[in-house]
Amino acid sequence: MKFAYHETGLNNLWLVKDAKQWMVSGLISKDQFTSIASQYPSTLYHPNFIIRILLFVASAIVLGAITGLLLLMVMRVDESALSVLSVIYGLISLAFLDQIFIRSKHHYKSGITEALLYHSILFIAMGFVDTLEYRPALYSILFFILFAFASYRYIDLISTAGALCAFAFLAFYILYQAGGVMQQIIPIVFIILFTSLYFFFKRFRQKKETEAWESCLIVAESVCLLFIYAAGNYFVVRELSIELMNLDLQDGQDIPLAFVFYGLTVLIPVLYLYFGIKRKDIVLIRVSLAVIAFSVFTFKYYFSLGHPEITLTISGLILLVVSVSLLRWLKTPKYGYTRENILNEKWANSNAQAFIVSQTLGATKAPEVHSYGGGASGGGGAGSTF
Amino acid sequence: MKLETLNELKEKSLITNDQFEKIELIISRKVFSVFYELRTLLYLGVMLFTTGVGFLIYQNIGQLGHILAIIALSVLSIGCFAYCLLKGKKYSKDKVESPNPYFDYVLLLGCLLFVSVFGYLQFQFNFLEKYAQATSLITAALFFFCAYRFDHLGVLSLAITAFVSFFGIVVSWNDLSSFDDLQNVGLVISVVLGVIAVGIERLGIKKHFTFTYLNFCSLIFFCSALAGIFDSYRSGYIPYLLALYAGVGVCVYLANWKKSFMFLLYAVVAGYIGLTYFLAETANWDIVGWLFYLILSCGGFIYFIVSFRNYFKRKE
Repeated sequence: MKFAYHETGLNNLWLVKDAKQWMVSGLISKDQFTSIASQYPSTLYHPNFIIRILLFVASAIVLGAITGLLLLMVMRVDESALSVLSVIYGLISLAFLDQIFIRSKHHYKSGITEALLYHSILFIAMGFVDTLEYRPALYSILFFILFAFASYRYIDLISTAGALCAFAFLAFYILYQAGGVMQQIIPIVFIILFTSLYFFFKRFRQKKETEAWESCLIVAESVCLLFIYAAGNYFVVRELSIELMNLDLQDGQDIPLAFVFYGLTVLIPVLYLYFGIKRKDIVLIRVSLAVIAFSVFTFKYYFSLGHPEITLTISGLILLVVSVSLLRWLKTPKYGYTRENILNEKWANSNAQAFIVSQTLGATKAPEVHSYGGGASGGGGAGSTF
Repeated sequence: MKLETLNELKEKSLITNDQFEKIELIISRKVFSVFYELRTLLYLGVMLFTTGVGFLIYQNIGQLGHILAIIALSVLSIGCFAYCLLKGKKYSKDKVESPNPYFDYVLLLGCLLFVSVFGYLQFQFNFLEKYAQATSLITAALFFFCAYRFDHLGVLSLAITAFVSFFGIVVSWNDLSSFDDLQNVGLVISVVLGVIAVGIERLGIKKHFTFTYLNFCSLIFFCSALAGIFDSYRSGYIPYLLALYAGVGVCVYLANWKKSFMFLLYAVVAGYIGLTYFLAETANWDIVGWLFYLILSCGGFIYFIVSFRNYFKRKE
């Protein structure tokens, strides 16, 4: 058994997607794109992102309403039968997805398929609530199996992340239940475990056979990197120790081996960035930028001087200086790095960017001016959360 | 994409040798673009810096260091504008590419610093005491000028938000309640602004700006109409419902005209909410009836989209 979709159709779809990106970026002409598209036809139904969202929401409503109708019919059935029915219902929707929408209607990530997939996972899992309620380890194994199956057969990205999270929960839970020393070594085990997983996924991604799952493997790599970082992050370790292991810290006390975690909080992002730049690995670079921000937050949280506005201003200034100097430095490409946009990302179009600007900068700024102005401005300005 | 596939394209002579070499450089990561990463950093820098400064300005008011800070920020803001005037290309009715990758962000920084300093001065000296709202008009005017002069969509969207905030409307997902008493204002403003935007496009000025205008107009229009419908204290919701459906019609037309599914999304969601509310007011269904309504309406919608799939493909 392989992925559920028609293989040639899927390969052609991806190839044409790439070719389209080349056309938009001006690497090939429009005529060339048209002839590539006609040479590599695909019957798969894979609408654009907005249509996918619309279809997903509409399908979720339909499925919810169908569930409601069925629920009205079986209201008087006793609970154990309900569990069985729930699993059956989940399996039936999975069969619908697989046989009708994917096999005969050729849907590929159309929004409907995602809705049906999550719907069936939900109901299969709900069927086991009664039996596994007090056995979280088994329940997380069930989730792991369901998500892993979904990401293998339907190449679903959210399921990939879900599977890894279920796995991480399982590892955490087993060590946590073991108690004593086992609880202490959770961070180390996590770092070792997810580092090996990371390299496993990375090597796996190089192979020709795994090409179809490339996007899943990229997600898996990123999630592994985040778990490695979280396991070494001082904030995460400290707060979880207090929260779950009843560690009672007095003033002036610190968690055991605090310096190690301080070190890791700095070291891991730096390593990510270093290797990301060295190996030209976009996953590492992007994850490193995110976790650097979280490291800064970690240190500010415990060593704050009480002036968030100064921190904001200075970190903004640093970012501006760093990025402008990098842009100037890359005016001519260096070591294969370029500041030019060689491949247009379709989600980064300028209309979307303009809207982001107005939502992150505009709405809080502009009304502020006039709410300070004297309050005669009606219900508008004062409500913002500046 | 793997290299083998690219080779295949070359062998079928779907791409030329030249193109093969260029694309091969990208796929094998011999050329590696950090365009988006650096721009994200720049954007975050502008955002953090101006937010920090915004807080900073209202603290320690009256001290010497504070006055110096205000002067420094004013100088910085003027510096940004001066830089843009010096480096920027000449004004043109069409799209103008920025001269370097950080030009856009210098302009954005200048504009946001202007808002901070201007807001502070107004707060401290109250020189527009009687015309408090005029501050947002002045800001909007400056932003509109900058957006058109330097061809900046981000500043344009800031200008539009500043302009509508003059009428008390806040365009933000966090705070839709601001439409409560302003539905009529919102309806009128969005229509007027939309008509003006289309008029400007007809004159051939900055045609690529129209989308941003219309995006804001549709959002404001639908939020206002829905606020009007839900506000049961008013005499009747029917006029607002009719307005909503007029808006839906216009939006479907816009989706066709601008080749954008965004407008279709707005139209469908707003229209569906309106229809459901209307049925809830008039029809007297039990739970089963409602469940059937949901299944039939959404199912019908799915069927419609999927069967007319070719119509809903993105046109090249």
